[in-house]
Amino acid sequence: MLKRLLTIAALLASCLTFAASQPEMIVVCYPGGSVNAADANAAMSSMLRVVERIGHWRENSFDSLFTTKTDECRKQMAEKNPKFAITSLGLFLALRDQNRLIPLAQPQLKGRTSEIYRVMVEKGQFQNLEELKGKTLGGTVLEEQAFIAKIVFAGNLDPASFFVLKPSNQAIRTLRSLAKGELDAVMLNQQQFDGLASLHLEKPLAVVFTSEEIPLLGVVADAAATTEAERGRFTKALAGMCDDPEGKKLCELFGIDAFAAADKSVFEPFIKRWTEER
Amino acid sequence: MNPSRLLIAFACLAFLASCAPLQPGPAPVLACPKQSPAELSAYQNALGPLSDSDTLLCALAVLRQAQDSPLNRTALGSRLYLHLAERETDPRQREHYAAAGVKSAEAAFALGAKNDGAVHYYLAANLGLLVREQVTLAVQNLGRLAQEMRLAVALSPGLDEGGPLRLLGALYLKAPAWPDGMGDLDQALALLERAANEYPRHPINHLFYAQALWSEGDETHQAQARTAFSLGQKLLAEGDWGYSNAAWAKEFAVFAEEMGMEEAQSHLEPRSRANSRRFVSCAYCG
Repeated sequence: MLKRLLTIAALLASCLTFAASQPEMIVVCYPGGSVNAADANAAMSSMLRVVERIGHWRENSFDSLFTTKTDECRKQMAEKNPKFAITSLGLFLALRDQNRLIPLAQPQLKGRTSEIYRVMVEKGQFQNLEELKGKTLGGTVLEEQAFIAKIVFAGNLDPASFFVLKPSNQAIRTLRSLAKGELDAVMLNQQQFDGLASLHLEKPLAVVFTSEEIPLLGVVADAAATTEAERGRFTKALAGMCDDPEGKKLCELFGIDAFAAADKSVFEPFIKRWTEER
Repeated sequence: MNPSRLLIAFACLAFLASCAPLQPGPAPVLACPKQSPAELSAYQNALGPLSDSDTLLCALAVLRQAQDSPLNRTALGSRLYLHLAERETDPRQREHYAAAGVKSAEAAFALGAKNDGAVHYYLAANLGLLVREQVTLAVQNLGRLAQEMRLAVALSPGLDEGGPLRLLGALYLKAPAWPDGMGDLDQALALLERAANEYPRHPINHLFYAQALWSEGDETHQAQARTAFSLGQKLLAEGDWGYSNAAWAKEFAVFAEEMGMEEAQSHLEPRSRANSRRFVSCAYCG
């Protein structure tokens, strides 16, 4: 999940002390996202300039590379070998070996550092997941199918063979399609589920599948390219960010309570599951 | 909240951090011909993209000096400020004009123009320009912007060659999508298709429709997007759009580049090409 990840990019830069003349590249991967890469990089650039000013770093010490394309992300991670990156949990798991990635920090939202995925149907149409076998499943989160299979469904179900998958980049469209009977079910992430109340849907929805708590992921680091001191300093700065006068504005604007140092033990079961299911 | 919202907010914060408060530019010294509000009223419809800036400023001077004129209960002042803002290359001066356009529309409302679709439309258009330049205002005023545009669509959809449809469609296209914001590609497509079909003479109707089609991300819609783009480009080249021409041509060029750039990457992951949006750049009204 990439909620608030770009926020973390700002924080990330504030914790680095690179003296090299070349900007330190931060790779930001948002698979299936609805953000134009050119716009995103421009905005990231603006954000980094603010961070440089706040942290008393030389202007243009940092740069960002943003992509919504999974293949492009893999390519850039391979070529740039960034010290730090912002990725989805799925990409972190997929690229963990290649880039020696370790989780550094998680955003804490409404007191939580994890989220739940749900499969939703029109109330009364289907009673459980088994009844959806061979039926259509839509959703924006289907962009990362391996992640959905191995982590969301915990390896218990292969969505590609169980459902007829209808990925979309328009969350609201999938819900309209559900209401019109064009889809049988929709998978929602936590943010989308929380937003349902604002839609005032005519027909009530029901949950037929609930994932376990899946950790939110923010910043990851290349364990080989960074020192423990760098990572520690970075993590500490993140933890104090929401208490900083400027950082507090960011945190309030994005509804972030705080940034928490990533507890590696939280991610270990998911890493294990990902590896085992290969 | 997703990264699109974050990017907007970051840009906003960057703006706040790096820019001094907006100061209006020095008032131009003009040698305006003496004219009465009645005379201005008689030729107000001729004022537009083809008028030179001094003519527009002189007309605004007449409006300012005749506070009790019925013209101040219309969209004229807001419209003239919009024309000035759209052609202005200095960002600060552009914002100054757009802000003045918003105030002019608000003054018209105060005088009883609340059911005048044109006032809502030009208020929204000017506000859109402000939003474009200061993302903080976008976040703060998104609801108001949408409300004014919806009123303009309800009251005067055909104004300015489908301007209200064009503006509201662009807002739905470029705003952050649900659950982060009011962005809605379905709504955008419906409004912009209507604008392009019912008011086909305006180049920007076709450009925005092309952008919405392109956002679908599949080959069928992208082929349609190219067709709409080409039609808009042809209309722009063949028409006399006065001072609007340069800004519109630039917008066409930017989107052409975007299409080319994304096509080059299409072999990687076609679905991810969709939804390439800019946030609220709906200043293409007049």
